[in-house]
Amino acid sequence: MSMTSSSGSTAGRVEAGEAARSDKQQQTTPPPPPPLPLPQARTGGFLGRHRLSAAITRLDQEILSLQEEINELETMDPSSAACQEVLLSMEGKPEPLLPVGPEDVSWDRWFQRVRSSRGHKWWTHKGSDFS
Amino acid sequence: MSVAELKKRHVAAMETVDALRERVKQKRQLLLDTDVKSYAKSQGTTPISFGSTDLVCCRTLLGHTGKVYSLDWTPERNRIVSVALDGRLIVWNALTSQKTHAIKLNCPWMRACAFAPNGQSVACGGLDSACSIFNLTSQVDKDGNIPIARVLTGHKGYVFSCQYVPDQETRLITGSGDHTCVLWDVTTGQRISVFGGELPSGHTADVLSVSINSSNSNMFVSGSCDATARLWDTRKASRAVQTFHGHGGDVNSVKFFPDGQRFGTGSDDGTCRLFDMRTGHQLQVYTRQHDANDNDVPIVTSIAFSISGRLFFAGYSNGDCYVWDTLVAEVVLNLGTLQNSHEGRISCLGLAADGSALCTGSWDKNLKIWAFGGHRKVI
Repeated sequence: MSMTSSSGSTAGRVEAGEAARSDKQQQTTPPPPPPLPLPQARTGGFLGRHRLSAAITRLDQEILSLQEEINELETMDPSSAACQEVLLSMEGKPEPLLPVGPEDVSWDRWFQRVRSSRGHKWWTHKGSDFS
Repeated sequence: MSVAELKKRHVAAMETVDALRERVKQKRQLLLDTDVKSYAKSQGTTPISFGSTDLVCCRTLLGHTGKVYSLDWTPERNRIVSVALDGRLIVWNALTSQKTHAIKLNCPWMRACAFAPNGQSVACGGLDSACSIFNLTSQVDKDGNIPIARVLTGHKGYVFSCQYVPDQETRLITGSGDHTCVLWDVTTGQRISVFGGELPSGHTADVLSVSINSSNSNMFVSGSCDATARLWDTRKASRAVQTFHGHGGDVNSVKFFPDGQRFGTGSDDGTCRLFDMRTGHQLQVYTRQHDANDNDVPIVTSIAFSISGRLFFAGYSNGDCYVWDTLVAEVVLNLGTLQNSHEGRISCLGLAADGSALCTGSWDKNLKIWAFGGHRKVI
């Protein structure tokens, strides 16, 4: 596989060989050690009084929030309402990647004549890959 | 209170939480009267169908010499930033395939990158547990490098995701292996808010992905190894607005739906899901078909919506890149089987700002641009 840039001209900032670094080197250089593991918030077994109190406080807060959620669920719309909104949100919206709908000519710039910074003409066909 | 009494209270509280969670689950189940696929079918939605040469690979961006891990487009359409295991951050003009910058990074293990809204800065973060900011208008040295403008330090774990707040040049959100998300002021390097951590409604495992709502940039969603997605309001860091359950594994990727009221997720469980932000309902599951004999279900590494939301792109660990019809919940194309497709895992993907092209990044070291090259029936 070629390691050089895809077009014949570059901005001059990058040389083809400069970015090459062998896979072998990557494999022998180990990644940094992971940060120290975080303290466990909830564990079985013995916990000191302070940590137990803190854990109970967190659980009490979670209980309150779950009770709030249960209350909200009493009057919440079913999923069909949201599904309808999803459908409606797409109506009339232009979609460059679909074969049907209103069109913007700028969407086809990926298949048009392109001029590089050094004036080297370079253009693509629809349906072709230029790499 | 004695330790013994506290332990009793702790056990009782855990039992109450479990019972309430079960009640929530049952109530939610009753409210799921339909999903997107069934609803769309009831409305007579016509499935999308592509011709074999409709979506084509129109560029391959060559230059990285290591696995590509992350990419991001500029808001002004044609430029892309990417980071890879070769220790490089590259800025591309996707239209010409030229590189405008190829910065050698101090830490080669980058996992995230992002373009600033004005396109003049980029951010990247990874296993250095920090986020580095580069000003692209700075003087380049003889090796093609730019000095780091600022380093955002403070995370106690790897940085897996970063995104600039869309309408604010100076604010950035990161997701980290320390289980938190952080909102940063890029100009001062200070943390404005921390989401999660010691707080009760935070993630309980690594945060792998964040997505900011472009319709309301006060809201963002995060995906985590704790198999949930969480919705946050940046004005209220003290607790998550909502937690979204359903996935059976790490949530690797989250992305807001174009209408700003829903979001998608992609997971190690091999599925993608669509959730409703306001109600918390799971609106659709996108499950790939696989052989009963095949024990290895490819994981979803990255997702993106097309600009209308009708197409939903999902990259998988086996090199597949499915194009889902969001409404009909069927796969309409697999970019992984087309001519000139990637030869390795799809690790990242993203749409150009005007939706006219998709960029995919892969462990095969390349980025590819895909666009509609067929005949358009204009209405």
